[in-house]
Amino acid sequence: MRALLLLAALGAVAAATTENFIGHQVLRIVPSSDAELQKVQELQELEHLQLDFWLSPRGLGDPVDIRVPFPSLQSLKVHLEANGVPYSIMIEDVQALVDREQMQMLRRRSFVPLSTTTFDYTSYHTLDEFSKGGTNRPAIWIDTGIHSREWVTQASGVWFAKKIVQEQNEGLASILDQMDIFLEIVTNPDGFVFTHTSNRMWRKTRSKRSGSLCVGVDPNRNWDAGFGGSGASSNPCSETYRGPYANSEPEVKAIVDFVKNHGNIKAFISIHSYSQLLLYPYGYTTTPVPDKEELNQIAKEAVAALSSLYGTNYKYGSIITTIYQASGGTIDWTYNQGIKYSFTFELRDTGRYGFLLPAGQIVPTAQETWKALEVIMTYTRDHLY
Amino acid sequence: MFALNPNSRQASRAAWVALHYSNYHGASPSGLRALRHVMKVSAKMIADVGVKYYLQFATEDYISGQETGNCFATVLYQKKSKPEVNIKCARTQDQKQIQEEDRRVFQYLRHQTKPITANKIPDSHGNIEHALLPVWALAVAGSSHIMLDKSKENVGYFLAQIRTAKQWIRKDGAVEFEYTILLHKTPTQEMDLCYMNVLWSLHQVLTAKYICASESHQLDDGSGQEFGSAAETLHKKGGNFLQGLSASHTRSMGKLCAQPEAAITFPSKPRYSKRE
Repeated sequence: MRALLLLAALGAVAAATTENFIGHQVLRIVPSSDAELQKVQELQELEHLQLDFWLSPRGLGDPVDIRVPFPSLQSLKVHLEANGVPYSIMIEDVQALVDREQMQMLRRRSFVPLSTTTFDYTSYHTLDEFSKGGTNRPAIWIDTGIHSREWVTQASGVWFAKKIVQEQNEGLASILDQMDIFLEIVTNPDGFVFTHTSNRMWRKTRSKRSGSLCVGVDPNRNWDAGFGGSGASSNPCSETYRGPYANSEPEVKAIVDFVKNHGNIKAFISIHSYSQLLLYPYGYTTTPVPDKEELNQIAKEAVAALSSLYGTNYKYGSIITTIYQASGGTIDWTYNQGIKYSFTFELRDTGRYGFLLPAGQIVPTAQETWKALEVIMTYTRDHLY
Repeated sequence: MFALNPNSRQASRAAWVALHYSNYHGASPSGLRALRHVMKVSAKMIADVGVKYYLQFATEDYISGQETGNCFATVLYQKKSKPEVNIKCARTQDQKQIQEEDRRVFQYLRHQTKPITANKIPDSHGNIEHALLPVWALAVAGSSHIMLDKSKENVGYFLAQIRTAKQWIRKDGAVEFEYTILLHKTPTQEMDLCYMNVLWSLHQVLTAKYICASESHQLDDGSGQEFGSAAETLHKKGGNFLQGLSASHTRSMGKLCAQPEAAITFPSKPRYSKRE
């Protein structure tokens, strides 16, 4: 006990924070008895020593690695020796190691635009280098699978990911030069699992609420845009149940928080099936959006690009005029947040197979949809606001 | 009379209603059509009756997707009864060829020594076994009767999936199948589970008798406990449902209720009435 008090006193002296690691060492202790283990565990409570556990104490035989600041070094070693706890010095001088790493990074840093083939994977990089030039660059958001039974969407999402990662063409590279792409593939994971394990036709989330025997909320009626109005149901058993309140579903709230925190998303595309449509806001009201002409023109070009591949026929327009009134919808909310280029896709087909689109159609669907996405992304890049 | 946008939802819905009529009354599983696109559409309000749509649309073969020519149709949506349809289609396909195909399918089904039974057509991945295509086609024809009955100006249906199909071998030479099917309803997005019996005598009649889970409790906002939401709920009060059906069908309904996924609930006492 007295030894611990001594350490605490010394620790208080050394409490000044340091930003370098000069003279710091990393010690390794492998407790081989309960007594040793207990002694090491007690060290965690001595905050004034400013010990940094790289590997925390777990059990007998499990190594414990501790970075020890220089001022605490001598007293800790004396304490360990006095209590018969063997240790070894893993790193003699932490700062020397940090300096060496820094020099390596400087030497290898390349000023050529990064690509997946020229990127140096054998070296550590800064956050800036990972995101090619800074945080919060203008971004594009794409989500698939918000309605779990719309399987061609998640499948297309995976294909989009491959396309983004592997694509060599200039168009995508130039988009990625200026913007980030965020792709959420299984936006409704609980529902998706349920479509595999229990009910292929499940649409909603799988949230359970006391007071109702029915499960789930329609995640495309749960957004805070026209929430509570016509175009969604207040009945928990309905497929278009809006939820008890806006953003009640964590799947939705997570995106809402992300979008708000990011603050620089310029295009938002939410992907559904089926019906072969490209839609823009609003769904909850017949009032046209102020940017209607522009969005309509983009949709027209995107649909033309889509059709050019396999002749697939798409219609386009605002949600309410083209499909039906729907309140609490995703892109109504994103548009009202200021994300001007907000679109929803309804992919293949037009009803013959519906949600059960044959798997053989996945790749053609993804390919043609990608053509439309390229139009939207390129337009966004060229019309940043 | 006012012209409508041929790209509008109303237009394609009305065209499909006309096709449901044609697909059912045509009594020809090999001659089923699907909508390609609407070319022209206009509508007229008829006081005290409803709305009448006038349509010209392009069609394709339901099974193969091949172009099958244009149709002209009128669809009268009425308040209290099912839509009234008149339809005339130009035939680009050889009528004899279709009749021959029907005959071939009919013989194939009739000469089964063991009754065909199947689950989930298409399956979760959208696949249909080649040998089961006639079973699917028969269900499309029969379900068109249901979808025609239920369609409204703002409510449309598609056959989402055949859950179960079971053939009944008959002595009189007709083909009989019993189905449970899921109808996808828009805009409510509900899945309506229906039991359907289809009887087909070649070149004579194709009739479908049916009852759907939603029928026992109709609410305006489509909030009956239908398949999508209520899959886990247990079969209740099946007795109501079975009234009016023959003994053989009652037997099948019993089996239907025993399958949890196919369970139908009949909330004659709405569960949610207290909270509404």
